[in-house]
Amino acid sequence: MRARNFTGCLFTLPRIISFLLFWLFPLLYSLLLGFTDYRLMRPSFQWVGFDNFIALLSDRAFLISLKNTFIFVLGTIPVTTVTALFLALLIEKKFPGRTIFRSGYFMPSITAMVVIALVFANLYSRGGYIYLLAEMLGLAPPENGFLLDNRTALISIMAMDVWMSVGYYMLIFLAGLKSIPRELYEAAEVAGAGAWCKFRSITLPLLKPVALFIIVINTIKSFQVFVEVFVMTKGKYDTSTAVYFIYESGLNRFEFGYASAAAYILFLIIAIFSLVQFRLFRRRAIW
Amino acid sequence: MVRAGRYLLLVFILAVMVFPLLWMFRVSLLPAAGTLSFTDFISSGYTVATYYDIFTSGNMLRYFINSAVVGAAVTAGNILFCFMVGYAFSRYRFIGKNFWFFSIIFVLMIPAHIIIIPLYLLVHHLGLYDTYGALILPFLVNPIGIFLVKQYIDTLPTAVEEAARMDGAGELRILFRVVMPLCRPALAVLAIQVFLTNWNSFLFPFILTSSESVRTLPVGLALYQGHQAIDWPHLMAGSSLAVIPVLVIFLFFQRHIVSGITAGAIKQ
Repeated sequence: MRARNFTGCLFTLPRIISFLLFWLFPLLYSLLLGFTDYRLMRPSFQWVGFDNFIALLSDRAFLISLKNTFIFVLGTIPVTTVTALFLALLIEKKFPGRTIFRSGYFMPSITAMVVIALVFANLYSRGGYIYLLAEMLGLAPPENGFLLDNRTALISIMAMDVWMSVGYYMLIFLAGLKSIPRELYEAAEVAGAGAWCKFRSITLPLLKPVALFIIVINTIKSFQVFVEVFVMTKGKYDTSTAVYFIYESGLNRFEFGYASAAAYILFLIIAIFSLVQFRLFRRRAIW
Repeated sequence: MVRAGRYLLLVFILAVMVFPLLWMFRVSLLPAAGTLSFTDFISSGYTVATYYDIFTSGNMLRYFINSAVVGAAVTAGNILFCFMVGYAFSRYRFIGKNFWFFSIIFVLMIPAHIIIIPLYLLVHHLGLYDTYGALILPFLVNPIGIFLVKQYIDTLPTAVEEAARMDGAGELRILFRVVMPLCRPALAVLAIQVFLTNWNSFLFPFILTSSESVRTLPVGLALYQGHQAIDWPHLMAGSSLAVIPVLVIFLFFQRHIVSGITAGAIKQ
């Protein structure tokens, strides 16, 4: 037993080293940095207390990036979740060609974000396909294309994000649907329930844990939106997001202390959001 | 009637989902820079000269090779380490086991953005900045992978291992000769998931390197724009290079990909 105890520790070692070196240390290091004025070309740095946090809360660029992040999160998650559920219901039952549809819907989810952002940059640009489509529908798209306009840039990125991620969440919903016992539906049919009634009182309540899972992981992910913004607009045209701000101040202006403080503020926001979501669902406040 | 309408809807959605990728391939085959419109989507002419160009000049091939090397190394590392750690969590009792297992859940709940700055600094201090090491070492073992392997080994009977132990086999021998072959399905799911994630990843390769010689394909593509007025055929040909391996893997291992996604989700 003693020998196995030792072996167990030994086998876990890669994980322990990786966790301590590449997770716990950076996590604590950046918390520490957040309270200093550390930046590049400054060999020694000073403890500045909460100065960074106070400065951030009146930094216009940071507040705008937070505003955009909130718009992104609150705008995409409901649409993504509902669309994903709709797609899952649409292809739940077996029918000829079902696999093709499922694969096709899922394909954007395994394509590199950079590639998708580049393709959509083309489609959204003046003369691009989406641009022409909007023109055809008489929507009068912005003169320089969707991404070079303050009013449409962020929402265009959001639309792309929904398009890209619905397939992934559809798969998770499908797995959830599969785990609902058939007998429940049969019993409901015997009792004379219609399709809508079955959906309301069997499917939806039993999907709640899956929906919670989807919403929580999507929230954590969406609060960190960065790649799309970097590739498509470089944070211009009112699209800067929190992580973009952290990247800019930390790795472009090399204000490590300031950027770390910003990262912790975002972390706090994400933590609060996740907790609130758990509570809401526990109390059955939603459906 | 309802059925026909349903198929129509399905096909329409399929077109919306697949079109951008088709568009990417189409633009990559255009003879010269320029934008297409509805009318000449089919008829604008086709050439593979752009692909030839990409393979013979510029850095795109370099990026592709970098991505492949890094992807292979990270995948191999994850198969080995996630397997070892997952096995230990499933079968052994040792000091601090619960703490280390909790650390896995902990990492899953922490958003990765928070370690951008400190990881950048750490990699600098370790002298790894702008090397393959920076792209590989921090990613050799991942919590979801450990979880996946542990869950799988939990379902295996211990009888085979006990028998091997009776015969005097050492722990390492049991690990690699007895258990590993049994875990092949789980490890296949793990390998595909890790490779795809790594192949597509942008943020960390972007912040941990600066020179073109170690740049991965997504980073190379994202920074390609800056050079001159956007050369769409070249950019889309490069993008196709990033997408084609993924499509091939998807075609052959779709089942593994799907089960990898749902395995993680349904447990919660």
